[in-house]
Amino acid sequence: MRKSFLKILIIAAVALSVGGNLASAKILAIKGGIIHTLGKKGTLRNGVILIENGRIKRVGANISIPAGAEVIDATGKIVVPGFMHSGSYLGLSEISLTKDSNEHSAKKSPFSAAFDVRYGLKSNSVVVADNRRHGLTHAISQPSGSDGIFSGSGAVISLTSSPDMVFAKGPMIANPAKAGNRNLGWGKIRLILDQVIYYNDNHSRIMKGEGPGDFLLTSYNMDALVPVIKGRQKLVLMVDSVDDIRQAIALKKDYGLDVIISGAAEGWQVARELAAAKVPVLINPQTNLPSSFGALASSFHNAAKLAKAGVEFAISPGGMARNHNAFMVAQMAGLAVAHGLDWDRALRAITLNPARIFGIDKSFGSIEKGKIANIVLWDGDPLEVTSNVAHVIVGGKNYPLVSRRTLLRDRYLGLKNKPYAFH
Amino acid sequence: MSKIRKIVGSTAMLTVAGLLVMNMAGTEVAKAAEDRAALVTINKNPYPSTYEPFPSTTTVIKNATVLTGTGAKLEGASVLMENGKIVGVGSDLVIPYGTEVIDGTGKWVTPGIIDVHSHLGVYASPGHKSLSDGNEATSPVTADVWAEHSVWPQDPGFSRAIAGGVTTIQILPGSANLIGGRSVTVKNVPSRTREGMKFPGAPYGLKMACGENPKRVYGKKGGPSTRMANMAGYRKAWIKAREYKAKWDKYTKDYNAGKDVKAPKQDLELDTLMGVLNGEILIHNHCYRADEMVDMINMAKEFNYKISAFHHAVESYKIADILAKENVCSAMWSDWWGFKLEAFDGVDENIPMVASAGACAIVHSDDGNGIQRLNQEAAKAWAAGRKVGLDFTEGEAFSWLTLNAAKALGIADKTGSLEPGKMADVVIWSGDPFSVYSLAEKVFIDGALLYDRADKNTYWQSDFELGQNVKGAHQ
Repeated sequence: MRKSFLKILIIAAVALSVGGNLASAKILAIKGGIIHTLGKKGTLRNGVILIENGRIKRVGANISIPAGAEVIDATGKIVVPGFMHSGSYLGLSEISLTKDSNEHSAKKSPFSAAFDVRYGLKSNSVVVADNRRHGLTHAISQPSGSDGIFSGSGAVISLTSSPDMVFAKGPMIANPAKAGNRNLGWGKIRLILDQVIYYNDNHSRIMKGEGPGDFLLTSYNMDALVPVIKGRQKLVLMVDSVDDIRQAIALKKDYGLDVIISGAAEGWQVARELAAAKVPVLINPQTNLPSSFGALASSFHNAAKLAKAGVEFAISPGGMARNHNAFMVAQMAGLAVAHGLDWDRALRAITLNPARIFGIDKSFGSIEKGKIANIVLWDGDPLEVTSNVAHVIVGGKNYPLVSRRTLLRDRYLGLKNKPYAFH
Repeated sequence: MSKIRKIVGSTAMLTVAGLLVMNMAGTEVAKAAEDRAALVTINKNPYPSTYEPFPSTTTVIKNATVLTGTGAKLEGASVLMENGKIVGVGSDLVIPYGTEVIDGTGKWVTPGIIDVHSHLGVYASPGHKSLSDGNEATSPVTADVWAEHSVWPQDPGFSRAIAGGVTTIQILPGSANLIGGRSVTVKNVPSRTREGMKFPGAPYGLKMACGENPKRVYGKKGGPSTRMANMAGYRKAWIKAREYKAKWDKYTKDYNAGKDVKAPKQDLELDTLMGVLNGEILIHNHCYRADEMVDMINMAKEFNYKISAFHHAVESYKIADILAKENVCSAMWSDWWGFKLEAFDGVDENIPMVASAGACAIVHSDDGNGIQRLNQEAAKAWAAGRKVGLDFTEGEAFSWLTLNAAKALGIADKTGSLEPGKMADVVIWSGDPFSVYSLAEKVFIDGALLYDRADKNTYWQSDFELGQNVKGAHQ
């Protein structure tokens, strides 16, 4: 059902993008350059990508371009899947320190697990538009926190700047440190999960008032955790220390949860355990300060060492790079390369890996037939800080590289030619 | 004797108008000269630097690509360091016998990076309340506090910054206050004491802050709660400083004219503000918006002082021509924006737009992570500029990290470029420093090799990390 709904949305988006002139620009073709498909076709030189109805129709070396197709010449360009941020506030925050442009927090409300960011997303966000022109095409947008351990559910979004931006419900986010200390955090999470299991198994009895009345969470917050205990919704645990990572692994085993660790600053020290437990991690490669007692062993080598141990990971920086500068995933991937990670793995860590980790790789993460056409053309190595985006295609639409920030730039670049109003 | 106020420093021996001003031990001399109290002066340097360069050997880096920091790029060039100083840069240097030779083939050599905006030491790692010493957010004007008295030399952040090629750092108080206190410029060296890091001869700076932060912090604590009250707050402070300076100037003049006059009462806060009015302390002004920056320039004219640099300066691109004319530097991020309303108009091209107007452009970090990759931040700004036709060379752009920063700190005669006679603050990069893949391999401060990526013995480890972290494991 969700799929068909999505299809309608995409068709609507494509219709919007061509301004009603559906017949003449039905197919978008990207021709030439170096295409890193990250799929079975590998890296293509002078290949062709055909895009139709927002999806990739064909990719290959010897594909003829239908007459009437809009053609983007990628000669001299590097073509890669659009980048993904795995834990952003995109669409949820325009200006961090303003009250009425932030929708990511459930604090000072009765909501914790029940908080869901899909309802407050801003489709015409200038932050989303600016990140898109820097090569970011989709993301997890997630809640920043609540008054409890569970922050609520995130969303998988495409950076379309249109009402179709929500692709699917995202993971449940939890931050054990919010409980006050580590014993309280893990103790509470386990107790809550036990209670949710009991609540779910005895639902009708409890609703009749026959069950215990002292659950840690309200019924509506427990309702939101039912998909988590059934392993149907991924649970992102925000933890950094070796000990907390081990607790997260144990939680996954004990409750059969689908756990993702976000942070994992000390992950490199338990890389083998993470690999054995098949727990994927989302890391911030610039973390190398002992910024807290749970992150003393933060290291630039985290990515390289996780890769070596076979841990599946995505690069997902925090701080400024969670929202306004979410596009910094590319620089952060480059930074990981400078500290020992293979270039190919670094590219995968901001494309295919996060798509796999969040279970959306049928639609995102590589340039392969059938996937959503989120594709970016770069004028150089996309992980290099001196490279610029040449074209961004999201959901099959070739977006202009314009944002409020480029308009400001252009206004002031042309200041000498401007009328008095700007002097 | 009892009338003599001992605020004259014990180490300074100042000659003022031919009269020897001395400490307690020397006051008899003054009394003998005239039957009145000795001239009272304020010790401007009561916590002097005790920094001494670390041991160095005469070293030449040969056959490297050299960015001099003055704008030039030299291929196949050598850099010769002797006795802690740069003695030669070029391709036909005379190398003294016994000189240590480093093969610079494939490497790039630059001056050490200078970060004009850091809170290392005052907001140290771990980020704990106990180590939160950067904002004296108890009163909107705290010109009396000095950042150096908050700096924790054991902040592990310093060891991270050296691996990013940073050799000089200005540590500032935070921006909660209208006037936040003095900054200190340090050499990025391991040290047990603050004084052991202080950059010898660097002038003090004074941190001021425009806009949202003072409003936010004091809006419900008695004000200022508006930008107009921000302005009123600075101006009231400068009026007091002007009166204070007039008192001291009059006192000194009268004394030197032979009059028996009483020295004004010393005021720690006004000492600093007077230092600015006397041109001895440099203004470093946190300010985002164009209109506010122009206000600050006008206020500087009203009270006859000079602004050295606007910091963050997210809207400098809107008034780059004015900043060029007024000769005020802008210390900027490459691409931070939007975290508050006054940062909403940030553009990726801010730095090259400022530079292209002929104004002084600087890349700063304001961040313990960002300070480790300032070269990349400059590279992003440089590339963004090129994309819109602001075509600087890499050599020119590197001065945003070095010589321009040194100018803003008042130390351009000492460091910031690879020129003979300057401090040998030098970085050898694994490749083009404008690449994300390049790393600082060797970092020299005053000619001493203080960081060598290939030699674990050179890695620093703060007392805090000892016994907790494996030395060097963070990189």
